[in-house]
Amino acid sequence: MNGPGIGGAGSRASRVDARAKVTGEAHYAVDSSVEGMLHGHVVRSTRAHATIEHVDTAEALASSGVVAVLTGADLQGLFPRFGHIIADRPILAIDRVRYYGEPIALVLGDTAHQAADGAELVTIRYRDLPTVIDTEQALAEGAPILHDEDYRLGDATFEEAQSQSSIGNIAHEVTLEWGDANEALAASPLIVETTTHYPMLYAYAMEPYNALATFDEDGLEVVSTAQHPFQVREDLARIFSLPLNRVRVQSPLLGGGYGSKSYTKVEPLAAIGAWACGRPVKVALDIEGAIHTTRADSAVVSARSGFDLEGRLLVRIFDITMNTGAYADNGPLVLAKAVNRCFGPYRVPSLRVIGRSIYTNTVPSSSYRGFGAPQGNLTGELNMDQAAAQLDIDPGEIRRRNLVPQGESHIPGKRGMDADLVADLDILLQKIEWNSELPAHHGIGFGCSASDAGAFPVSTAMVRLLADGSVLVLTGSTEMGQGSRTVLGQIAATELDIPVQRVRVIQSDTASTPYERTTGASRTTTLTGLAVQRACRDLLSKLEEMGAEAMGCELAEVKSAEGAVVGPERSIDFGTVVHSWFGGRQGEVIGWGVVRRAGELEALPPFWEIGMTGVQVSVDPATGVVSVEHLVTVGDIGFAINPALVEGQDLGAATQGLGAALLEELVYDGPQLLNPNLVEYRVPRATDTPRRIDSVLAERRDGIGPYGAKGAGEGSVNPMGAAVAAAVWRAVGVWPDRLPLTPDRVWELMNPPDNG
Amino acid sequence: MSTTWLSAVVNGRKIRHLVATRSTLAEFLRTDLGLTGTKVSCELQVCGVCTVLVDGVPVSSCTYLAVDIDGRDVLTIEGMANGEQLHEIQQAFIDHFALQCGFCTPGFVMMTKALLDQIANPSRGDVEKFLEGNICRCTGYAPIVDAILEIGSKLHEETAS
Amino acid sequence: MSFLPDFTHRRPLALEEALNLVSADDMPYAGGTELLLAMKAGLLRPNSLVDLKHLPELREITVDGDDLIIGAAVTHQIVAGSHTVRDSVPILAEVAAQVGNPRVRSVGTLGGNLCFAEPRSDIATVLIALDAVVCLLSARGERELSVAEFIVGPYTTVREGDEILTAIRVQIVPGRLVVYEQFKTLERPTVGVAAVGLDDRSVRVVVGAVGSVVEQFEGPRHDIDPAQIAQHVEVIADLGGSERYKRHLTEVSIRRALERIEATR
Repeated sequence: MNGPGIGGAGSRASRVDARAKVTGEAHYAVDSSVEGMLHGHVVRSTRAHATIEHVDTAEALASSGVVAVLTGADLQGLFPRFGHIIADRPILAIDRVRYYGEPIALVLGDTAHQAADGAELVTIRYRDLPTVIDTEQALAEGAPILHDEDYRLGDATFEEAQSQSSIGNIAHEVTLEWGDANEALAASPLIVETTTHYPMLYAYAMEPYNALATFDEDGLEVVSTAQHPFQVREDLARIFSLPLNRVRVQSPLLGGGYGSKSYTKVEPLAAIGAWACGRPVKVALDIEGAIHTTRADSAVVSARSGFDLEGRLLVRIFDITMNTGAYADNGPLVLAKAVNRCFGPYRVPSLRVIGRSIYTNTVPSSSYRGFGAPQGNLTGELNMDQAAAQLDIDPGEIRRRNLVPQGESHIPGKRGMDADLVADLDILLQKIEWNSELPAHHGIGFGCSASDAGAFPVSTAMVRLLADGSVLVLTGSTEMGQGSRTVLGQIAATELDIPVQRVRVIQSDTASTPYERTTGASRTTTLTGLAVQRACRDLLSKLEEMGAEAMGCELAEVKSAEGAVVGPERSIDFGTVVHSWFGGRQGEVIGWGVVRRAGELEALPPFWEIGMTGVQVSVDPATGVVSVEHLVTVGDIGFAINPALVEGQDLGAATQGLGAALLEELVYDGPQLLNPNLVEYRVPRATDTPRRIDSVLAERRDGIGPYGAKGAGEGSVNPMGAAVAAAVWRAVGVWPDRLPLTPDRVWELMNPPDNG
Repeated sequence: MSTTWLSAVVNGRKIRHLVATRSTLAEFLRTDLGLTGTKVSCELQVCGVCTVLVDGVPVSSCTYLAVDIDGRDVLTIEGMANGEQLHEIQQAFIDHFALQCGFCTPGFVMMTKALLDQIANPSRGDVEKFLEGNICRCTGYAPIVDAILEIGSKLHEETAS
Repeated sequence: MSFLPDFTHRRPLALEEALNLVSADDMPYAGGTELLLAMKAGLLRPNSLVDLKHLPELREITVDGDDLIIGAAVTHQIVAGSHTVRDSVPILAEVAAQVGNPRVRSVGTLGGNLCFAEPRSDIATVLIALDAVVCLLSARGERELSVAEFIVGPYTTVREGDEILTAIRVQIVPGRLVVYEQFKTLERPTVGVAAVGLDDRSVRVVVGAVGSVVEQFEGPRHDIDPAQIAQHVEVIADLGGSERYKRHLTEVSIRRALERIEATR
């Protein structure tokens, strides 16, 4: 808690949005409505793969209150698809459906009830096509090909995800190599092979996707749950052939995101409704609809690592196969990142990673916290633990011998490691009480990871000093709970040396806040923070000039301090500087900050996001239930602008990691999901909380962000799966090879059926 | 389409309204009364974001008929603060950083009120058990439980002294 | 959002009125915690819903001779907190306190739970173990059945469309040993075993949640073999586990239940 005058960088300042959120005043996209708006209800495919023979809308159209029913055939004149890397995803299915749940029609009604009732009356005739649900089926000889077109957009900003034309159902393929992997493997004294399966997950942001679109002579306006309003603007502009300045996308507060609200989702649906009917249209999905919109990639990851007899890595060879569903969305980038992250933050003399993202007739996958790191890390870290076991070397020690030292690049061409990983590991092992004697069926596991996070450094910010000395910070970033609205205000307050209460942050409106590429990849504090810092410095230089003029002295004689321009004889507070400049209580002074890939931000990634987590578990041998006795997260974040928010992010990420490790899995039963709901998809609850939790922050000011900050928010999910799997191995003596480690799975691991 | 009159007290205010009989309480609050503080998520009663109190008892408003509040007293998140003065539960949530995206927060606040009305000084186990039907996807629960334990022990001190 | 279909709503203030309103298409409800979900899912489309919450006879808990009588529209929360129930049939209060979550307990009723006949209902398993009886009333008359006769399959009871379940009757047997052993990691239990210590050396074991209906076994203690029962009950594999795992859990639960009975004897 804090009183007036404090709250700048480094303090546990209260969230600026907390009051609105605890009173119910906080406005989310789903709370939006406008007079005269129509409600859009989506009709979804009940086939996993089929051609659409006929969509009968007559009965629906005749239904009370139904104003229109749109199908793929009604999109003439529009670019009917979206997708920022591969524009392969139809707004409404055209001729063919590729997954159970794909939108086929949109029923527009005066009320939500009427639209829903109308939707029940739409009938669809399909001609079934063969279906591929898992990657093995999709890659098999004779498998149906899901996409015969090449939809590449050729956007250089996604250079890591530039793909070759697809072969069969390979949506994207990435290879990373150096040294001579085959030779190194042949020469390795010890080779350890590990294969794991990472489950299909659902991010479950509690506010489902929704959008409210209005179309008039001025253009298109959309309010939605978008983490990246500027990216959505691109897709919408392309769909309707509009210039960017005629498309406005606003995101109010988001009820959760975690990456799952990255890029375009239901905005085109609402927009085509508004375009066709000439009235505002709201499309608000329920959870089942949301699950059928986006999920996270499942993966099979195999590793072969060669070690010397002291446990030093000589070579790592990885094979990654990700199930990316029916449409690419951000799948190619998730794959590219999985490739970079799977082999861990280690010195690896020779490397070969081949990753493939496979189309299947399932819900399309896209970004989710961790972004390819958890999938590969599960294999990579278990592989290290298995090597340690075989060599009889302490698992902590085997990490120490391999962790890349600070300053050194472990991936050629990429930024050197900006973290002291050995120091982090030492903190982790000490906190998790690595060397303690444990009772039977207890085990400790830990994992290490480093992610090339931060996405791409393009960020702008505007800081406006108003005539009364109060400040507006304008940024295109979004607030989805991670605390950007608070942190960016704290940075501005620190730069301007004013109380944080005097700063207000306004976000995520493509028409009125300046460009922010994305909010995700743990980048906002670091990159948007830099833009805000630069904007403040620009503002201060202007104020100093104005102040010097007002005081009749030289620029060199003044400086800024405590919200004022200080001269040799007197000081003038910023507000009064504005008065003097404009002649009265009017006007404002604007500072502008830009971040782009140049100078200190030339090297990518902008920062490494470190994951160092450990767990102690106990397993009930009678039931297989795994309880988490102790959870430790180490956040190596350079500097915590707001330690409370970082701790919150670390615990939240770790909890999602525990969910994947122990509870969560979307399961396909033939062509459709068995559990597209929150009763049968089991997320962590209050009763699953670990008995002891230790969140440690390591602040060594070694990051590129403001005051030495680096990003946070995903680090603690990345090694969680491996930490839990290793802990279970130590508790029960059997190596798990897949998540989630549900009670039945653990029991079956401990009690394999007798064969013969 | 069937409609029904209902009379109730919502957040201390008497209301009389003609509703679509098929409306859930959540729809009625959000759409008919404009009280959008109550949220909707899982729609299966297991996430708790739609929690409101009906005659002091917590219900999942997403699976509760609007017409069933007829003659009853409803408290929603909008009725918790006393003008500008926040309820101590709300203040504790702020102080403990017991929220991030905030979408689950109204439901947790209402559930906490129901808990503390039942058990004035709950143990950690009591709190976790009572909240097993409220999902938070952001915080990892610990700060929420801490916030509630703090209020519980404060109330306990007050009654003890 | 998912929506309820259209229906009309009736709120009888007397039992007689209610009996005249109820039919296969005009469904009685109290809490609606399961019924409304089935309606949202499109599985049920009644013409009207008849609200039983304003019938005082259905909301009482009384003791009549050696019977505990719980009105069908009494909520799980009230059963859990009732001194009368705790004093007479404590296991019922114990189990009612675990149903669903606090909101489901506040709104859902014992009668509603039995009429919906969710195959994993803890309440049904325990009531069957207690030989509980349901009272069904219609304009045509009254009848009583054991809960085991009432629930005949998943989501299937023998209640006629014009019948209202008015009360549940449980014999009060002072000192009767009843335990309920439940394994639950998901929303609904994976297995629930009720065990009753009958006379000196007999037990009744009632296995619920693993199959489509509750199964009962009874006999001298030394004749009750948990492993054998576990091998013989119907077990449905699902997200909660394979058949093999569930049979194992069933055996473990039966063993634990019997141990608890023995420990109290």
